Amino acid sequence: MTEQTEPTVQTEPTVQTGTAQPSGKNLEISHLVKQYANADRPVLDDITLTVPAGKVTVVLGPSGSGKSTLLRTVAGLEPIQGGEIALDGEVIASGKSGNAKSGRQQRSSDLRTRVGMVFQSYDLFPNKTVLGNITLAPTIVQKRPKADAEREALELLGRVGLADRKDAWPHELSGGQRQRVAICRALILHPEIMLFDEVTAALDPEMVREVLDVIVELADQGLTMMIVTHEMAFARAIADRIVLLDGGHIVEQSDDAERFFTDPASERAWQFLRTFQFKRHE
Amino acid sequence: MDWAFMTHYAPYFVNAGYMTVFISFFGVLLAVVLGLLCAAVEITRIPVLYQIVRAYIELSRNTPLLVQLYFLFFGLPKLGVVWSAETCAIIGLAFLGGSYMSEALRGGLEAVPTIQHESAQMLGFSKAQAFIHIILPQALSTAIPGVVANVIFLVKESSVVSAIALADVMYVTKDLIGMYYDTYESLTLLIITYLVILLPISIVGTLLERRFDYARR
Amino acid sequence: MQGAEILLQPGVFPRLLQGLWVTVWIAGVSVGLSVPVGLLVGWLMTLRNPLIRILMRIYLDFIRIMPQLALLFIAFYGFAQAWGWNLDATGACVLVFVLWGGAELGDLVRGALESIPKSQYESAYVLGLSPWQTFSRVILPQAVRRLLPASVNLATRIVKTTSLAVLLGVVEVIKVGQQIIDAHRFEFPTATLWIYGVIFFMYFIVCWPLSIVARRLEKRWAHD
Repeated sequence: MTEQTEPTVQTEPTVQTGTAQPSGKNLEISHLVKQYANADRPVLDDITLTVPAGKVTVVLGPSGSGKSTLLRTVAGLEPIQGGEIALDGEVIASGKSGNAKSGRQQRSSDLRTRVGMVFQSYDLFPNKTVLGNITLAPTIVQKRPKADAEREALELLGRVGLADRKDAWPHELSGGQRQRVAICRALILHPEIMLFDEVTAALDPEMVREVLDVIVELADQGLTMMIVTHEMAFARAIADRIVLLDGGHIVEQSDDAERFFTDPASERAWQFLRTFQFKRHE
Repeated sequence: MDWAFMTHYAPYFVNAGYMTVFISFFGVLLAVVLGLLCAAVEITRIPVLYQIVRAYIELSRNTPLLVQLYFLFFGLPKLGVVWSAETCAIIGLAFLGGSYMSEALRGGLEAVPTIQHESAQMLGFSKAQAFIHIILPQALSTAIPGVVANVIFLVKESSVVSAIALADVMYVTKDLIGMYYDTYESLTLLIITYLVILLPISIVGTLLERRFDYARR
Repeated sequence: MQGAEILLQPGVFPRLLQGLWVTVWIAGVSVGLSVPVGLLVGWLMTLRNPLIRILMRIYLDFIRIMPQLALLFIAFYGFAQAWGWNLDATGACVLVFVLWGGAELGDLVRGALESIPKSQYESAYVLGLSPWQTFSRVILPQAVRRLLPASVNLATRIVKTTSLAVLLGVVEVIKVGQQIIDAHRFEFPTATLWIYGVIFFMYFIVCWPLSIVARRLEKRWAHD
């Protein structure tokens, strides 16, 4: 089962340098408002933000600040009540007050394949093997030939170091392996932007690395990404743009990750960063 | 034990077993179809139909099959609806089983996590595609133990059809006891016949559960 | 709608109610006796003794795989001949329902006891609770929450199964109905429809509240 069947495929995630070719598109969020039906204040209030093409935008914030909700509105999993979201200049979501009830937005299948997403909880289809999970959408949604989809799936699996697990069932994989497969499953549709919603939050510490390495590789290749994470070292290393959310507002935005982590502009950012530091009291 | 008696009357039980299997098979088949329809209505909550399905489920689950059969077989002809005993038995089993199957199937559908719907959506699947390829297989996997238990339950319940003069296993047993007083032999044949019918169902059910257990791991 | 007047004939409805009382009485006694039997069976099933385990397994599996009507026949015809028991039809019904209810309830008790995670025992232990305190304050309340909804459902099933008593000749609500139908055969030819219809709803009125209670309990306790 775990025999290496494809000797030509690399088994370790590798960083391919020099091939950086911005493959994504700009995402523009303007004056976005998200409010649930029975809530007295919005979860997201007047968010304006650009996720630049080929760059990594990391969204930070305490729990309940609305960062996951922000990703879900971009994904079309939550309707918005104000403002709009545009992908490559094309409006993909616009706010309508009144449709406050929770529920998925109506989006064309084609548009949905342009935005890739990986969730915090494992979301592989348990009734499909690793290969089945990855090839299902390209063959059924995009009507690509099966052989073509399988070839690309194997290539992607090789890139994340899982080529030898192609016939495994999701329940046979570790959490880190599942998340890597979930990333392949999204990538095979060639999304213009990838959304990562705390993808390592449910993982054992030693598995976090293997997943984050894959994301770093994608960043090097210039894929547009929007990442919500609690891994501060990872955020610091990968971010081209940092956005700090609190209480549904953007409190700080910075294009200099180093600077943000060492010398943030706002008092709120200081406070937030301090929660990750520990000191014994003398 | 009177072995001569048993070998002589064994063929009667074989025939009676066929009757039990025949009634049960069609009863279960209709019950599954009815159950799927009801589960679909319950999940989509189509107005009016939803209320009708709820009322049906309550009536079906809270009344005995025997009374349902008496009503169908003896009562309905007074309204001009005359069905054969076989038809009544199959309809009665389906009426009883539909609600049980519906609960099992609905439970399976509702147990599929929201995230599965969401990832399917993010990958561009239409609702129908997601249902066929992703949601239904997982729902069935979760529903198998309940469905198998219901099948066994319905086959057992079919023993009641002897009350409307269908020559099933119970009917033959009662006849033999009444005619010859060979009680042990008749009861032994009765037990063997039900074991021969029910044990394989139980075993196949366990195998199915093992084969399709991906949604429960 | 002609023929419905049968229900208003003097004595018809009161007699049906009396029959229903017999049904409810058999079911009530059976449920009541099933509780101690079930607790005992459930406790026996959690024991590690291999002989007891096998015996309980056979008992449970046999009761489960046989139709209740077959069990009734075995008790009514078989036991009488085997031990010369003069078991009347009502006695046979109660015996079978208690054996059946006890087996089903026993399995529920076993499941409830075994479903309590080991960490509950361990937390109680490190907190210094005695074994009895652990059982009565920690384990039992949790087990009862898992047990009660299913037990109420079992009671509903026993009430419904009581209908089989008529096939052994017990004079309960269905039998009374048949007697009424026979007595008014020529006066009210459509009596069958009305009488069986009324009996159908009588069962419903007894079982439905039980189902509702079970569902309420399930909902209330589902989240903790």
